[in-house]
Amino acid sequence: MKTYAYYPGCSLESMAVSYHVSAVEVAHLLGVTLVEIEDWNCCGATAYSHVDELLAQVLSARNLALAEKEQRPDLVAPCSGCFKNLYFANEHMLEDADLMDHMNFALEADDLSYSGGVTVHHLMDLFVREVGLDAIREKVEDPLEGLRVAPYYGCQMTRPRKPGEGLEDVEGPRFFEELVGALGAIPVDYPYRMRCCGASLIATSRQAALSMLRDLLQSAMDAGADVIATSCPLCQINLEVYQSEVNRELGTEFSMPIMYFTQLMGLALGIKPKQLGIGSEVVPVAPVLACRQSQRTAVAG
Amino acid sequence: MEVMNLLYAGDGKPPNLCVHCSVCSATCPAVEFMDHSPRMLLAMINAGMKDEVLASNTFWTCASCFACSERCPQGIHVAQIMYALKRYSLWHNRYPEGLVGPDFSRRFVKTILANGKSYEPGYAPAFIWEGGLPGLLYEMLGAVKLLRRGRLQLIPKKIKRVDNFRQMIGRIIPLEGIS
Amino acid sequence: MNPTKRLLIVDDDPDFAGAISEILESAGYETDITHNPKEGWAALKTNKYDLLLLDIMMGRGAEGVMMARKIRKDESLREMPVLIITGLREQIAFLFPGQAIHPGFVPVDELVEKPVEPELLLDRVGALIEASEARSPGGDE
Repeated sequence: MKTYAYYPGCSLESMAVSYHVSAVEVAHLLGVTLVEIEDWNCCGATAYSHVDELLAQVLSARNLALAEKEQRPDLVAPCSGCFKNLYFANEHMLEDADLMDHMNFALEADDLSYSGGVTVHHLMDLFVREVGLDAIREKVEDPLEGLRVAPYYGCQMTRPRKPGEGLEDVEGPRFFEELVGALGAIPVDYPYRMRCCGASLIATSRQAALSMLRDLLQSAMDAGADVIATSCPLCQINLEVYQSEVNRELGTEFSMPIMYFTQLMGLALGIKPKQLGIGSEVVPVAPVLACRQSQRTAVAG
Repeated sequence: MEVMNLLYAGDGKPPNLCVHCSVCSATCPAVEFMDHSPRMLLAMINAGMKDEVLASNTFWTCASCFACSERCPQGIHVAQIMYALKRYSLWHNRYPEGLVGPDFSRRFVKTILANGKSYEPGYAPAFIWEGGLPGLLYEMLGAVKLLRRGRLQLIPKKIKRVDNFRQMIGRIIPLEGIS
Repeated sequence: MNPTKRLLIVDDDPDFAGAISEILESAGYETDITHNPKEGWAALKTNKYDLLLLDIMMGRGAEGVMMARKIRKDESLREMPVLIITGLREQIAFLFPGQAIHPGFVPVDELVEKPVEPELLLDRVGALIEASEARSPGGDE
């Protein structure tokens, strides 16, 4: 099948290693090859745009130029923040010849150039649209029967809206729910599925972020979710690592597993938990693992 | 006010098209932690209240979730305005005392300029630069737990062609001696 | 023989642009002001200016560099003298403390830093226009 240029982003080298390993395992099993871009740099997160948007732009321009140089016109990013930055940096250069020219002037310093030939995908987009739900369904070996999954879209995977999209695409997407369904699990509807987790406010405006996390965890819990599935390392880290802080400071008692959607995919596809980076959580995911058909059979047998 | 000048290049319509419907404020997940709601901030910009706008914590409390921008019936890219205000406030060194955001953004950008990569987007730069890793992170994140699980890096990664990278940056911000 | 010289100021700070405009007009120059590169470019394409005074940090970021580079590539504007007046170093001093502005990457005739003394401003503007006229005798199209 197809080969994609893969841009892991900084988080996937550290706190979100499990996202990286599960993404690679799942892609491999689905016949997709992810080739990491040689010598990629940080996307700038949101902080770069706080200082100079042209500076933020050139960071993404370099990564796009590297993918183009490697002749891989399709680039995939698992982190929603990186995805958003790469996607819109690309759009802005395609729309604005002066900007493209200026970026190329800067890229010369690293013997690079960019002509606009790369398309940027979110990792989930790759699985849902490029591989397709039918193909995924066919490969499910160990369905997550009865597992109630709260799909958490977060912000930057869908927002801001992309060219050609309508309001319904950013307000009412169902692709995450459909993916969860394809794994044999039950997608749970809850009102905060698209509301912000607080992102970097956890470092800069802690009380605001903790309150946003509490609302989100409560919303999923009220809907009876067993696990929240995320598609962004920042969301995962906030929801999982800071869950104990929410409990401590806001008097709640959450113990909600937070997993990457690729980990749930991997389990359903029959990949061993360890190969999916499972075991590095601070909120235990045992209840999720027990929902696999194979485990139920084992218990019953 | 000058803020208007900052916005010309951004996407979206100018803030003076605001009809005060308050959809931005209603969709904002962080509004209760802002001293002025997004709608009020737009009104203050439109009224030319530059000093009051710059004294506000509103734009530093924006998490860039883009909900306001999506729902504004007038097509105002509110989140983009928040970015423009952050830039203006950093360039002119004007923001309310006690805010973490400006310092955080500066540290983050400096980390990437030095290495081409960040430690941990969203977290570590602010703490590590303070030398607070053993203290602050330990306490706040349960760093030991994360370390044991292989989820925390203590040494920043660096891209290979970091000299070229810095020269590239120097062509965007034309200062000598970047590389 | 020496008609009034027309100058364009592109600077996002209305107070600063207004102040230097006053200084220049009191010395007999005619000035137009725009507050962003986009409008500045439109003005350059509509009217003929003898000199451009350009800021660096505007809008998204260091837009002045981008605009100066574009001017130098433009057939009809290439010869126009460009004077940068910037507070760049102060504005992002936190990134590169103590670094000087790199003249090579800003293709302009001269660069002065804010705040600028009126005398220095008039001196530089006068010298640049004179040099430009010397380069193209007659100065007419």
